[in-house]
Amino acid sequence: MDNTTQIVITAITLLGSAGIWKYAEARLRVKAELKKEEKSASDTVLYRDDLKKRVEEMDVALKEANKELLALTEKVAKLETENTFLRREIDILKSK
Amino acid sequence: MERSKGRYAEALKLVRKILTQLKEVWQYSDSQPTEITLAGALAVLFPIATYLEIGYAPIIQLPAIAAGLYQLYCVSGDCINCRVRASFITFCFYAVGAVLYLYKGYYWQGASYWGWILLTFSSFGSLKRIKKEQLHRNNG
Repeated sequence: MDNTTQIVITAITLLGSAGIWKYAEARLRVKAELKKEEKSASDTVLYRDDLKKRVEEMDVALKEANKELLALTEKVAKLETENTFLRREIDILKSK
Repeated sequence: MERSKGRYAEALKLVRKILTQLKEVWQYSDSQPTEITLAGALAVLFPIATYLEIGYAPIIQLPAIAAGLYQLYCVSGDCINCRVRASFITFCFYAVGAVLYLYKGYYWQGASYWGWILLTFSSFGSLKRIKKEQLHRNNG
């Protein structure tokens, strides 16, 4: 087989192979995209996303409630101290 | 009559199940062992076989060794883009080999030459599997 024939056969086959692969690759891409869309629209995924959203909301609410609880505890402590002092003053005034 | 119909339907069902499973394995199984085999065959078997049966063809035989070694390098590195590229090159070489054997008319001389067609299909299947893996990784 001479060199020219080799080169011609190789070039034609390479172009053919590349063409076949481009076609197959495009089909695979389209299939993958469809699969991805189907997956994102399925009930299970929607339910999971909804659950994730709810967990995030509840986490935020829990943190806020913790802050509020801390502030309330602080206020109660202050009021208790005030109350103690006031009682003491009342006792002093009564004894006078 | 009814009994034989039932058996026939069962056998058909079993064949369908086997074919579906084979298709699944063919499409999604790990392709590294196939890639290594194809790369090894391309680097060693391809140049020797084509030299002995077709003759000296430097534009095919010498790059085939490099392509085989490149695919081995890519498989060892586990870079998916590199593996897709290398598999495409390997597929091209096997396709060139298959066409050269067709041009020479060897396929009508003996069935053992059909192995080149098998290797071409195998490399194409391997290429498709890796491409699917790449798309899967990119899509998350």
